[in-house]
Amino acid sequence: MHSFINFIMGPMVWISFLIFFIGVIFRLIGLFKQINAKENFVYTYLSFKYSFRSIFAWLIPFLPVSTRKSPVFYSISYVFHLLLFLIPIFLLSHVALLEESMHWSWVTLSDSTADSLTLIVIFSLIFFFIRRFVVPEVKFLTRLSDFLFILIVALPFVTGFLAYHQFFAYRWMVIVHVLSGELMIILIPFTRFFHMFLAPLTRAYTGSEFGNVRHAKDW
Amino acid sequence: MQESLTIDEKLEPDKKDVIDEGVEAGLSRLTPQKISQVINQVLTKETGPRFKAYVETCMRCGLCADACNIFLSNDRDPKFSPAAKVKQTILEMIKRKGKVSKQFLKDTVRIAHTECNACKRCSMYCPFGIDIAYMMLQVRRICHKLEITPLYIQDTVNSHSATMNQMWVKEDEWIDTLQWQEEDAREEFENLRIPLDKDGADIMYSVIAPEPKFQAGLIYQTAVIMHAAGLNWTMPSTPGWDNSNMAMYTGDFEISARIAQVHYETAAKLHVKKIVMGECGHAFRSVYDVGNRWVGWAMPPVDLVHAIDFYHDMLTSGKIRVKEKYKKTVTLHDPCNISRGRGLHNKARELVNILCESFIEMTPNREHNYCCGAGGGVINCGPPWKGTRMVNSREKKDQIERTGAEVLIAPCHNCHSGLEDIVEHYGVDMEIKFFGDIIYEVMEKTIYQEKK
Amino acid sequence: MKNEKSWDWHSEKKEIPVKEWQNRFNWVEEHSVSPDGEKIASIVNTDEAEFSVCMNGNIWEETFEKAWCLRFLPDGRLCVLASNDEEWTVCVDGTFWETWFDYIWDLQFTPDGSFVAAAVQKDGQYGMSVNDKAWDSFYENISGAVLSSQGTSAAVVQVDPLGQADIEGFNKGIFAVALNGIAQPEKFMNIWDLAFDSKGEQIASSIRKNRLDYSISKNSRIWEKNFQFSWKPEFINKGASVIAPVRQGGKWLLFKDSVPFWDKSYEQLGKLAIHGDGQKIAAIVSNAYGKWTVSENDKIWDFHCDSMISELFYSDNGSLLIAIFKNQGYWDVAVNGKPWNIKADKLWNPVISSNNEILATRMEKDGTFFLVVNGKVYQEPFDMIFEPKISPNNDKILLKAMKDGIYLRQILSLEKVL
Repeated sequence: MHSFINFIMGPMVWISFLIFFIGVIFRLIGLFKQINAKENFVYTYLSFKYSFRSIFAWLIPFLPVSTRKSPVFYSISYVFHLLLFLIPIFLLSHVALLEESMHWSWVTLSDSTADSLTLIVIFSLIFFFIRRFVVPEVKFLTRLSDFLFILIVALPFVTGFLAYHQFFAYRWMVIVHVLSGELMIILIPFTRFFHMFLAPLTRAYTGSEFGNVRHAKDW
Repeated sequence: MQESLTIDEKLEPDKKDVIDEGVEAGLSRLTPQKISQVINQVLTKETGPRFKAYVETCMRCGLCADACNIFLSNDRDPKFSPAAKVKQTILEMIKRKGKVSKQFLKDTVRIAHTECNACKRCSMYCPFGIDIAYMMLQVRRICHKLEITPLYIQDTVNSHSATMNQMWVKEDEWIDTLQWQEEDAREEFENLRIPLDKDGADIMYSVIAPEPKFQAGLIYQTAVIMHAAGLNWTMPSTPGWDNSNMAMYTGDFEISARIAQVHYETAAKLHVKKIVMGECGHAFRSVYDVGNRWVGWAMPPVDLVHAIDFYHDMLTSGKIRVKEKYKKTVTLHDPCNISRGRGLHNKARELVNILCESFIEMTPNREHNYCCGAGGGVINCGPPWKGTRMVNSREKKDQIERTGAEVLIAPCHNCHSGLEDIVEHYGVDMEIKFFGDIIYEVMEKTIYQEKK
Repeated sequence: MKNEKSWDWHSEKKEIPVKEWQNRFNWVEEHSVSPDGEKIASIVNTDEAEFSVCMNGNIWEETFEKAWCLRFLPDGRLCVLASNDEEWTVCVDGTFWETWFDYIWDLQFTPDGSFVAAAVQKDGQYGMSVNDKAWDSFYENISGAVLSSQGTSAAVVQVDPLGQADIEGFNKGIFAVALNGIAQPEKFMNIWDLAFDSKGEQIASSIRKNRLDYSISKNSRIWEKNFQFSWKPEFINKGASVIAPVRQGGKWLLFKDSVPFWDKSYEQLGKLAIHGDGQKIAAIVSNAYGKWTVSENDKIWDFHCDSMISELFYSDNGSLLIAIFKNQGYWDVAVNGKPWNIKADKLWNPVISSNNEILATRMEKDGTFFLVVNGKVYQEPFDMIFEPKISPNNDKILLKAMKDGIYLRQILSLEKVL
C-alpha cells in the first residue's frame, strides 16, 4: 500500500504530465499538419493583431455581449476556470510536495483561502450540473459525456476537500484525489478538455476573419 | 468516449411537415450506400481540421442559443439553437458513420436550408468563436451532393450555371433592359447614358439578376446617381454582370467559383479600377470572401465596393448633394453580410444622417443586428417554406416594430424581400426602402463638375 | 499583315479635333480608332431618339433609333450594332446587313476582319449570324458564342424547353453545342468554355454531366474520366489532342485526352496559353494559396503576385511569354517571368513587334495615360491612349491618343521612346 501511494504520488505524477505534454504536442502537431495539408489558406487570413484582439476581448468580463446575456453563468464560469488552475498550482500541500522532492517552491495560498476557493469550484460544478437539467437549450445539447466531464473535474476537488478536512477514510481520499487529478491531466489531450488548447485557436481564426477580413468585431 | 446516452435521444419528427418537391424527388432516388458514401466523403475528405476543431471544441454550453433569431422566434425552442442544429445534423451523421435514414435527411435539409440563415451571429456569442454557419453550409454541401437541395434554390443555382445569372435572364434581355432604363432615365437627364462595355472605365457597376428582371427601376436610379456624380462608369453587356451567387448557399462550390471567376474576369477585361455593386448582401459575401476564395483569389482581385461605401463616398465628397433631407422617420437594418460581413454599419449610419432628418436606432444593431430571416438562401427556398420563414422571423418583426419608424432602410436585396414579407404577413405599418431610393428622392439632379 | 506597310509611317503628327463634336451633337459616345490610326469615330446623338456615327467629323448618312458597340474591324471597316423600327442588325461602314433581328449582341470578328458575327434573337428564338448569314436553325437560348479565325461559328444552345423551376428537366440535359448553327445530338447539363481548333472545324468544351461530374468534350464526345471541375480546354497537335485544366482529389492538373499531361499538381490551374501546335504550353497557376504565377511546360516561373494574372499569351515565335498581372493593388506586365514594375492603375495587353523584340502598350496612372514600351514609360501624358502599333520594320511606333479634346496620330521613333 505504501509503495503504491509512493508510486502515484511520485513517478505517476511525472508520467501523467509526460502523457499530457506528449499528448498535447502530438495533437497540436497533427492539427497543424492537417491544416498545412488541407486548409493552408487559414494562414492567409490569420492575423496576430486580430487574433489577440479577439482573445483579449473575450477575456474581459462582460465586454462581449454574449457574456452580458448570461451574467450568472459567465461569472461562475469565469471564476471556475480561473480557480481550476489557481488552486492546484498554488495549493500549499502541492507546493510542499514539490519542494520536498524537487526543491521547487513558490507563493502559496493559505489553507483556509484554498479551502473556500475549493468550495467555490465545487459549487460551480454543481451549478453546471444543475444547469444541464434546467436550462432547456442546454439540456437539449447535453449528453452523458458532459456529466462525465463534470465528474472528472469534481473528483480531485471534492476528494481534496474531504481529505483536507479528514472527514473520513483519509487515506482513501488521498488516493482517489491523486488518481483523479492524474486522470484529468492525462485526459486533457484526448478529450474535449482539449478545448483548453483548441479554443484559443478557433477564437483566433474567427477573430482574424472578423477583424482582418470583414472589418467587424466578434464579441 | 461512447456517446450513446442522450437526454433527448429521440429526435422529434417535424411537426410542420413541408413538402418540397425537389427534396422529395431527391430522397426517392437515394440508396443507403449513396447516403453514407457522400456523407463520409464530405466529412472526412472535404472538411479539414477546422471542422474537426469545431466539433471537438464545442462544450455544449448553449450560449449560442441567444444569438439565433430563429431560436428566439420559436419561443426558445431548444431544437433551434445553433448548437442544436449541429447536434441534429452533423453530430448524428458522425455518430452513425453516415448511415442515416431518409427521414433524417429530410429533417437535415429543413434544418440546414431553412432554419439557419448562415448569418454568423452565433460566432459572436460562442466563447470559442465556433463558426456554426460554416458547419451548416457543410451540411448543405452534403445535401447538394445527395441532390436533395430544396427545389427553388436549386433552380436558381441551375440558372447560375447555365446563364451566369440567377434568374434565367437571357443575354439579350439583359442588354435590352439596360438600354430601356437608359432611355427612360433620359426623361430626367437628356444626355444620360448607361455605357456598355466601356473599356477602361473607372467603375464597373454590377447588380443581381432580380434587378433587370423585376426591379429595373433600381438600375435607372443608379444610372442617375452615376451620371449626376459625373463618373466614368460602365456595365458589362456580357455574362459576369450578375454578382449574386446562390450556389455558395447550396454548397455547390464549383458553380459558385465559376460565378465569381466570370465576374472578376469581366471586370479585368474591361480594365476597370473597381467594381461597385448594388445594395445586396449575399452577393457581396460571395464575391468578397467566398466564391473568390475557391478560385484562389485570397481577396477580391479587383477592388470591390459595396453600394453603401460608394454612396458614402459620393455624399461626403460632394459629388452627390442633398437638396432636402428625407422627412419621414427612418430606421436602419444592418444586413449581416455587410455589417458582420464587412463592417459597413457605421458608414451606413453616417449616410442615414446625411440623407434623413430623423433616425431611430434599431436594437440590437450593427454587428449584433438580427438577420432579416430571409438571408443565407432561406428566402430562395421559395414558396413551400414561406410559412415557416414567417414564423422564424417573429423576433425580427418585433425588433423592427419596436422602432416605430415609418421607413425601414434595408440596403440588401435579400433583406428587402424578407422584410417586405414580414411587414405584409404581420401587418406592420412600415415602408421598406433601399438607400438608392432615398438618395434618388433627395438628391440634386444636377451634374457634378470637378473643380479644376 | 501586308497592308501595314502601306500605312503612313512618316507624318509625324496628324490631328483631328473631336471636342467640337460635343457642340454639334447632343452627346458623343466612346471613341473608337481605326487600326491605322487615321480614323476616329463615335456614336453620336443627332436628335431625339436619333443616332448616327461620326467619323473624322463626317457623319454617316444612315441614322438609327438606337446604336451600340461601335468597333473598327482589323481591316479598317467600321461596324456598329444598330436598330430601326425596333429591329436590329449590323451596320458596316454605313451599310446595313440585309437580315434584321429582334435583338443583336456579342459582336465578334476574325483577326483579319473578313468575318463579322453576332448573337441574334428573332421571335424569341436564338442563334448567330455570320457575315449576314443567319444560322439555319434557331434555339430556345444561346450562350458563349464563339467565332473561329476561319469564320465558323459555335455556341451553347438550349435545345429543349424548360418549364419554370423544372429541376428534373434540367437534370436531363437540355444544352448542346451548335456548330455553324447545327446542334450536335449530345445533350449535357452544362456546357462552357467553347474552344475551336486551329482550322475552325472542331470544338472542345468543359461540360457537366450531372450534379457532380465534370469532364471535357471534344466534338461532343466526352473524355472517359470524370473530374471535380474543369476550366477551358484548348486544342493542340493540329487539332488531334485536347488539353484542359481539371480538378481531381482537390488539386488542379493539366490533362491531355483524358490522361495526365503535366506531372505537377497545383492549387489552381487556369487559363492556358499555347505556342504553335503545343510546342510550348503555359498556364496561369497558383502553387500556394492566394499567390499566382505561371507554369510553362510544367516549370514554374520564379515569380509570383498576390492578386491576379488576367492574361497570358505568347509572341508569334514563342520566344516571349507575356503575363498581365496585379500585385499589391497595381497592374503590371511580366515577360518570361520578369516584371516591368510600371505599377499601373489600368493596363492593356502589349502589342508585339514583328521581330518579337518590342512590346508596346498603354497604361493609366493617377488618371493620366502613358505609352509604355518594353517596360519603359514614355513620359508624355495623355488623356487617353488607344492600342499602339509597331511599324513592320520595327523602328517606329504609331501612337493614337487624345489630348485636350484633340485626337493625335503620332509616329514616334522607337529610339526616342526607348
